[in-house]
Amino acid sequence: MHIKKEMKLADVIQLNYMLIPVIHRFGINLGFGDKTVAAVCEENEVDLNFFLQLVNAYHDKDYFPKEELQSIPSKDIVTYLKMTHSSYLNEKLSEIEDLIEALQHTETEDEKYILLIRNFYEGYKNELTEHIMHEEEVVFPYVLTVEEICKAGVISEKNQKIYDSFSILKYQDAHDDVEEKLMDLKTIMIKYLTPPLNTNLYHKIIQDLFKLEEDLNYHSRIEDKVLTPKVILMEKSIKNLL
Amino acid sequence: MARSTILIAENSFLIRKGLRSTLHSLENTEIVQSIDNKDDVCKIVNQIKPDILIINPELLPTNCPDLKRNFKNGNKLSLILISDQKNIKEELKADGYIHYLDGKNTILDLLQEILNEKNQNSITDKNADVISAREKNILKHIALGLTNKEIADQLFISIHTVVTHRKNITQKLGIKSVSGLTVYAILHKLISMDEVK
Repeated sequence: MHIKKEMKLADVIQLNYMLIPVIHRFGINLGFGDKTVAAVCEENEVDLNFFLQLVNAYHDKDYFPKEELQSIPSKDIVTYLKMTHSSYLNEKLSEIEDLIEALQHTETEDEKYILLIRNFYEGYKNELTEHIMHEEEVVFPYVLTVEEICKAGVISEKNQKIYDSFSILKYQDAHDDVEEKLMDLKTIMIKYLTPPLNTNLYHKIIQDLFKLEEDLNYHSRIEDKVLTPKVILMEKSIKNLL
Repeated sequence: MARSTILIAENSFLIRKGLRSTLHSLENTEIVQSIDNKDDVCKIVNQIKPDILIINPELLPTNCPDLKRNFKNGNKLSLILISDQKNIKEELKADGYIHYLDGKNTILDLLQEILNEKNQNSITDKNADVISAREKNILKHIALGLTNKEIADQLFISIHTVVTHRKNITQKLGIKSVSGLTVYAILHKLISMDEVK
């Protein structure tokens, strides 16, 4: 079922609880009573069209309203992606890290294996952080510049420099292996490690890793299927301009 | 084991959705996309290179008649037809056939069979899930942080052989990254923790 503007936002969340962090990233807090999606968006000054396209894209893997999404300014998409990034960096990653650290305190013989997991996770976290920083420092500014050039119809000197320094093709090439380590970590924890005494905590960590992976997949779907094609189109029209 | 990817091309929404949810219970597979448009088939197949293509014969594009040919070299796409015409499988040289009235288990069994075949082909050592002594030795060197070239030199084998071993190890263990393989090596006492820098 597609999410529509006249639905109650509370019902939307009953439909798919994975949307809780998504609406939170829009700055919308729970406790909205029986208000509709449209009303809550208006109250929080969130663009209704963008909100609907995005939650639907999250909710349904097959939902790809490319044309509608294409009409949303890249600026809004970038802002949203940045919010997601900061929730990864500031919340999700450190939450899981804390859990792994707590596992270490259980003082069992497995302690050194948990240290192994911890170091591995640390490595993954650094990799993801680096990837995110690259997007924020290189990719997003490039996207915004491309949009600016498209709008203006001319390339200013400052924009020319940024435009020449990057191309979305480079981004596509580099944009694949961030989840490799995450999958390895899950595999190791599921297949190759004897769980420590605190199995509840151990299971929770694995489940959290699955959720993180799912969320990252949602996230990169927006990047790969919405932002990238949009930029490719804009790049083409700039080439014609030149 | 690497995940197998499935692409569904079918113009009926109900069948598309139904198939997706039916195949959901297959392990280690992922339905990468479903399409309902004949024009897109060639492009998307070439772009995402699925392991299995489940397609309604009506959607088989005329401008690239032999979808399978593109995949002969290395990509080994399996073609499954979904239709109500029983003899169509032979006609189009497909690997499998799903009838509209097939039950859930029939469909899942068919898919599982094709997946098993694929995995058999992709793993050189068919009998063993666990890695061989030779592979253990290679894994040990990988875990110690050596490059393919260094491993080849130390073991007096070609780089090509090292690469093949690496591929097999990754496939058998389901671990891709070097740091992941290192963790495995430590857990299985191929190297000690102190040996890793």
